[in-house]
Amino acid sequence: MSASFERLIDGIIDALQSHVVPNSSDDFVRGQVFSAIYALNGLKLAADWKAGPLLEQVRLQDETFAAVKRLADGMTHPEIAATPRIHGDVSDAAAIEALRDDGDRQLGQLLLWASGEGARAADRDAATEIERLLRRVICDQLKIELATTPKSMLQQIAGGDGGAA
Amino acid sequence: MQEAAKRSDDVPGAVPNLVRPAAVNDDAVRTALAQHMSRISGSRTEITSFGRKSSGFSWITYAFVARADADGDRKLILRVGPPNGLFAPYSVLPQVYALQALAGSGVPVPALVSSAQDGAEIGFPFFICEHIEGDVPAPWAASELDPDHKRAIARQFIEILASLHRIDPSATPFASLHQGGERAEVRAIAGWRASLARPTARYYPLLDWGGRWLHDNCPQPPCRTIVHGDYRIGNFIEHKGRIAAILDWELTHLGDPHEDLAWAMMPTFNARSRKLYGVLERAEVIDLYQRISGIAVSDRSLAFYEAYALYQAAAIQMCAVRAFEVDRFNDMRLAVMASQMPSIVRAFERALEAAA
Repeated sequence: MSASFERLIDGIIDALQSHVVPNSSDDFVRGQVFSAIYALNGLKLAADWKAGPLLEQVRLQDETFAAVKRLADGMTHPEIAATPRIHGDVSDAAAIEALRDDGDRQLGQLLLWASGEGARAADRDAATEIERLLRRVICDQLKIELATTPKSMLQQIAGGDGGAA
Repeated sequence: MQEAAKRSDDVPGAVPNLVRPAAVNDDAVRTALAQHMSRISGSRTEITSFGRKSSGFSWITYAFVARADADGDRKLILRVGPPNGLFAPYSVLPQVYALQALAGSGVPVPALVSSAQDGAEIGFPFFICEHIEGDVPAPWAASELDPDHKRAIARQFIEILASLHRIDPSATPFASLHQGGERAEVRAIAGWRASLARPTARYYPLLDWGGRWLHDNCPQPPCRTIVHGDYRIGNFIEHKGRIAAILDWELTHLGDPHEDLAWAMMPTFNARSRKLYGVLERAEVIDLYQRISGIAVSDRSLAFYEAYALYQAAAIQMCAVRAFEVDRFNDMRLAVMASQMPSIVRAFERALEAAA
């Protein structure tokens, strides 16, 4: 993120905090303003790193696909993506996001399969291990997203009261 | 049952088949409201002190004073279901049925004044009820209120819930809303699963898998009661140490009473505390609830509904994201809700582990 972009967001936040909030006694209006401040803070955190966390999630998914393929060897299972899915230096965040979302769908299908009766009947131990692996990895993916999530302001947003960002 | 409330479509002269506006315009609502109030009261009514209130993420809430020669000033509340809101398309029926069925019961509710599902006059589904004096406590705040005061309110809160669950639903209009072969509580899970499966919603593998688990493992209810559906700190009005009214009945349905109990005890609604309102221990809540409701609380069912509460919270967040991004509902609070998804989904996974 460029310094001017960061400065722009800081300026917007400052204007809202300094001029809009003190001059509004309407709870609904204040809720809107605090929400806007929150969204701007999120943008500031995520903008610089948008491709970074997505790439990290795709790589984590790829490692998981490879591990599931090994564990499910000999079992009939849903399609598992060939890895790695990204070659070379990719910086198009939208393309990486699409890969991440596609990976999520495949992880979901594998999780439903591993926790279903068919997989259990075929190899209970392997199915259980795959289910645990998938649940852990999906939670790890969520942790990556949490790192670019600003601190909650639910109190201010809902009620339009309290301190600012 | 309350008889004073009027349905717009019952009253002669209502204008049918209006083309609905695409968004709610406050000035237009105010003008239409004056016409509506004049018509149902039978005398010219002026609307004063009209303004939006912050509360609620779904229905748009207005406070106003209806000034008429015949009745003097009446402080009232108007709630309008926007066409692009969180749970659009809206039905006034759950709220109208609740306010009608519970009037005069042990569950305090605002008196219903008027309602219309077709929304012909205002342009959207709406209902009007009496204004109740008092304050709405903020569920997310680490409140500065005296702990003894909070304990007294928390106990009332549970006593009222127990009273709600003691009501025989077959004697209320809710019975007519819920017919068909599938269990009501299973149908509710199926509804949220369908909502999450909409193509515009981002896919979360744990929600897909967890939704199936909830559907397959939904416990039999000890009895089927009226379930408020959003029973939590923040959805009532408190006045002079008493809970004067329980609000927000839009998600009301028939189901397992554990659902309300689990929702009320979510840390999200209790300043991140495991104690109700930050003061009442879980064991005390359950003991009080059981004594007054006569319903035995099952640890297993409660754990299930604690997981379900997080699943429902996630689905509601996704409704908010959709309302903002797809339906262009311009409330910045809805946009912010998307960022809560990772933490809610992780908490859901842990709750499922505990319930399994």
